Amino acid sequence: MKLLIVDDEERFLHSTQKLLNRKGYDVETAPSGEKCLEILGEKAIDVVILDVKMPGIGGMETLRRIKREQPMTEVIMLTGHGTAEYAVDALLRGAADFLVKPVSIPELIEKVEAAMARRMVLEEKIRAAKALKAAEAGLSTQSSDPAGPEETITNTANSGKKQ
Amino acid sequence: MKPESADNIMRRTILSSMILIPIIPFILVIFIGYFYSKIAIENRTVESMQRIVEDHRQMIDTFLRERRTNLEFIINTHAFEDLNTSRSIEFVYHNLRTISNAFVDLGVFDEDGLHVAYHGPYQLEGKVYKKEPWFKEVMETGVHISDVFLGFRDYPHFIIAVKKTENSRTWVLRATIDTHIFNTMVGRIRIGDTGEAYIINRDGVFQTQPRTGGNLLETDPSRLKYLKHHDGIATYTSLRDYGWFGGLSTPVHDDYLVATVWLKEKPWLLVARQEKRDAFSGLRAVMYMIISIAAIGSATIVLVAFNQTGRLLQRIKDVSGEKAHLENQLIHATRLAELGQMAAGFAHEINNPLQIIRSEQALMDFILTEMKEKKEITNDQSIEELEDSMHQMIVQIERCSGITQAILKFGRHTEPQIEDIELKDFIPEIAGTISNKASVHGISVKQLIDEETPMVRGDKGQLQQVLINLFNNAIDTIVDRHGSHGGKLSISAKAAGDKWVDIAVQDNGTGISPESMEKIFSPFFTTKPPGKGTGLGLSVCFGIVEGLGGKMDVSSQVGRGTTFTVRLPAATA
Repeated sequence: MKLLIVDDEERFLHSTQKLLNRKGYDVETAPSGEKCLEILGEKAIDVVILDVKMPGIGGMETLRRIKREQPMTEVIMLTGHGTAEYAVDALLRGAADFLVKPVSIPELIEKVEAAMARRMVLEEKIRAAKALKAAEAGLSTQSSDPAGPEETITNTANSGKKQ
Repeated sequence: MKPESADNIMRRTILSSMILIPIIPFILVIFIGYFYSKIAIENRTVESMQRIVEDHRQMIDTFLRERRTNLEFIINTHAFEDLNTSRSIEFVYHNLRTISNAFVDLGVFDEDGLHVAYHGPYQLEGKVYKKEPWFKEVMETGVHISDVFLGFRDYPHFIIAVKKTENSRTWVLRATIDTHIFNTMVGRIRIGDTGEAYIINRDGVFQTQPRTGGNLLETDPSRLKYLKHHDGIATYTSLRDYGWFGGLSTPVHDDYLVATVWLKEKPWLLVARQEKRDAFSGLRAVMYMIISIAAIGSATIVLVAFNQTGRLLQRIKDVSGEKAHLENQLIHATRLAELGQMAAGFAHEINNPLQIIRSEQALMDFILTEMKEKKEITNDQSIEELEDSMHQMIVQIERCSGITQAILKFGRHTEPQIEDIELKDFIPEIAGTISNKASVHGISVKQLIDEETPMVRGDKGQLQQVLINLFNNAIDTIVDRHGSHGGKLSISAKAAGDKWVDIAVQDNGTGISPESMEKIFSPFFTTKPPGKGTGLGLSVCFGIVEGLGGKMDVSSQVGRGTTFTVRLPAATA
């Protein structure tokens, strides 16, 4: 499982990355929305933890673009501006969850795992649907699309266990 | 400028205009009224005096003319020879007396002034009057009426003499008139208390006995001014003589209203006079009345002015007090809103560092656990202390987080969902949610919802928040005072006028000190121990109630309890 934490607070990125690494997660960080989209373009990311209030394109705009380009990527909003309007707005735009700072690290991990599980359920359904479609078409070409991420997940899980 | 002196200036201004504006026309009317009644009374008095003097002149003239014509009748109907004996004159005299008993005697004179026949109380026959002025005059003019004089008899009298010439013989008939009768006739003239009449001759000598100021046949020089010859009636009076106020202030006894007229039969002046004090007593009555009206009227105006000014000022004071109160409330509300916004911004900024501290703490905790597991640190006591410290960090972060959450709630400006709320249903519902907590602390909860309570306009969620906050505060303060026995909490609702509904939450808790009362709705003000309350509950409630267009108030007495009143707009039916 690969995480991306997006926040304009460098120290938050630094210590959270270190902590989650120690807990066995592969964590990338980005200090801005633009950087976040850049990384998403290069690397396969499963879950994004996204701050709302940032310089440049804010969290809500970043969320919109992520969901447009990679709808399968789960996004958890994490913000100091915990208003109901923001939360509703974010959830409507496809965010998996909306957390208000300061959130405890165990809770954050719990939410990340939940988002991951959701994503996996979703992928499973998509794969099953595709397999059904392929069987119906009588084609045996296994699409590389769903296989890619599955391997990555397995790899990540393995590497976590190794450490 | 002190507000008190401004008050005084206003009082003076209002008072002076309220007194002066009605009193000026009032006094003016009074003066005009006085002036015209004065003129009317004066004219009437003078006219009546003139009428009296004229009537009496006619009467006296008639008397003199009749006496004269009596004698003329006798002299014309008799020859000298008929009357030149005592017997014949006596006979005629007695006839004359039947006409008028004013005749005292009767005598006949020949042209040389010899008194040839006489009938009367004296012995005058044989006396010669040739050189007497009266005899000379009667010989010249034919008729003579004398002034009053004492003569031989030493008794005041006057005479009437007439002359006749026939067959080259001239003779004179003379009669004496009883001054007493004449005097009585003139003296009978009475006007008011002090009015009188008398006659003076051309030299100012009294011809009749005046009631005051002199005696018969004396001269009073002060009356000589009347003697100037004039036609008709002359009156002597002027404003200056008796003063503007009718001699009210200085009673003058010797100042008179005088009317004079010359007699036609004889150059005698009939003088009628009356003390002005008496003559114009009507004027004085009017004056008294006017002074009373002016005094009562002015007093009424002044009293009413004072009364109205007092009321007006009180009203102004009430209104400005109300205004000041509203201004204070407005300032308070504005300040609260500003504080709310500032606090919200502040909370947002605090959340970021809090999140970092949390991450750091989690990292430290993780590393510590690892080190412990790997036996890199072995001092159990130190580990325990570190773990306790770590735990405290979590607790304190949670606390900060609680505060920022509360602040954010406080500063949030969400549009209320306004609807009509039926308090008869709504309040028991809310009270139900705290009934458990209340019964645990032995608090009896009473609900006094008036049957007539109208529905209120508000947001159910917000109103719930306000009421629960008030209930919780009430329970806390009750527990502080009574522990778990004897607490009383009452929730009442009733209409306040047509437009408002009051919801009151009353407790018998510790009460609020006057110093705390001032700050009770300010954010972050709390009397609870540190960590127990954010001091935002009541200020949030205050903000909500203001936002709903209502008012929140508190009254409290230390040691007796507190009542919070929420006044909300009633739903318009």
